[in-house]
Amino acid sequence: MRSLRIACIAAAAAVSGCAGLQPVQPWEKGYLAKPEMTFEADPLQARFEQHIYFSKENASGGYGVGGGGCGCN
Amino acid sequence: MIIEQDAAARAATREPARDTDSGLAILAAAMALPGVAFAETAPEQGLIGLKYLYYKDYQPGLDRIHVSSPSLYVLTPLGRQWSLEGSIVRDAVSGPSPRYHSAISSASRMEDERHAGDLRLTRYFRRAAVGFGVAYSTEDDYESRALSADVRMSSDDNNTSIVLGAGYSDDTIKPNDTGGGSVTGDEKKKVNDFIVGLTQVVTPRDIVQANLTHSRARGFLSDPYKFLDNRPRERNQTALLGRWNHFFAGPGATLRSSYRYYSDTFEVKAHTFGFEWVQPVRSMTVTPSVRYHTQSSASFYVDPIPGSAFPPVVSLQPPYYSADHRLSAFGAVTAGIKLAWAINKDWSVDAKFDYYEQRGDWRLGGNGSPGLDPFKAQFYQVGVYRRF
Repeated sequence: MRSLRIACIAAAAAVSGCAGLQPVQPWEKGYLAKPEMTFEADPLQARFEQHIYFSKENASGGYGVGGGGCGCN
Repeated sequence: MIIEQDAAARAATREPARDTDSGLAILAAAMALPGVAFAETAPEQGLIGLKYLYYKDYQPGLDRIHVSSPSLYVLTPLGRQWSLEGSIVRDAVSGPSPRYHSAISSASRMEDERHAGDLRLTRYFRRAAVGFGVAYSTEDDYESRALSADVRMSSDDNNTSIVLGAGYSDDTIKPNDTGGGSVTGDEKKKVNDFIVGLTQVVTPRDIVQANLTHSRARGFLSDPYKFLDNRPRERNQTALLGRWNHFFAGPGATLRSSYRYYSDTFEVKAHTFGFEWVQPVRSMTVTPSVRYHTQSSASFYVDPIPGSAFPPVVSLQPPYYSADHRLSAFGAVTAGIKLAWAINKDWSVDAKFDYYEQRGDWRLGGNGSPGLDPFKAQFYQVGVYRRF
């Protein structure tokens, strides 16, 4: 649990440390609108790959909730 | 089900909200987020996609599981305040798997078809979005039903987005009597899971996301087809995922990076790193990718006996036992390449190939589980998407 606590603090610090930067204005968001700059532009690929790794490894999570289980693991 | 964390990124590129909605000020206060006003809007376009996966895995001397899997996805706005998202998939799975470790002599063959679907309805308010989801899957020996709910809020300038979500699933396991496994009658497994996530636009070329998920499973967690498999009847899992997309204006390319830390009460700890380089080439994009995963073994995982064809029958940590290689300590590498072609503003097609290999020797820092053959897989995906 201690290493998890450290990981959480580091993640929070990394994100909040960005508060010192100037907020991005709407007219500056051209690049951010590209599909590859979003986090799940290909939902079917994401579903397939998360299912494969859930089935063949012992780690999962971080992406969402309520997906249900399967007999595959 | 995948929470649409992507919506946060889409929201970030829209104009900030102008109106207020006092009815949700109470929600805002309850969420205890001082100084943050909220804005969420329905997607502007619908999306329909078809994708086919062919997967096969193998080890030296044995071709193992093959999977053929067509799937369909739809996302549609319903007016300006609602959206509906859903997918269905059919997995046709067949092939042999070892009953313990990577022992070919123990392998038993299976064949099954799994059908699964999920649906999510989202209501958009001026300051927040609330989603409800259901998921269902059925196969010969396993049935799963799941529900989820989530709330998303964005800052006034759409640069910060927070999600809170919870899910519940209720699974029934009905093992086939294949002989040789620890087969029982019908069993149940219930899981509660939670997510809290933050997405932040940092610069015009950087967006980051951090998600924390926690899952609590109770019930039958063993593999009924694996030799003597007897796992604890509860497992808590925690994962912290960080993702960062950075745009390089020179080559016009995007580097997508991710890291996930995982820990559970089986005493497995894992780190997973992923990198993708999305390189546009005229109307196509070429995306090479690499992923590295390393995990420790579960506390009740038992190593093979050197030089013996038979699994150990006495566990050093009774009463739990597993000889399932997926609970061993290993490192795994995936190398992939994806080609996507945007035919016009509405249509795109894509194809992806990944090669995956898992080895005890590849565990980060050494001390991987001994005595297992390398496990390898290939997956091929072809798909088409249409916006409408």
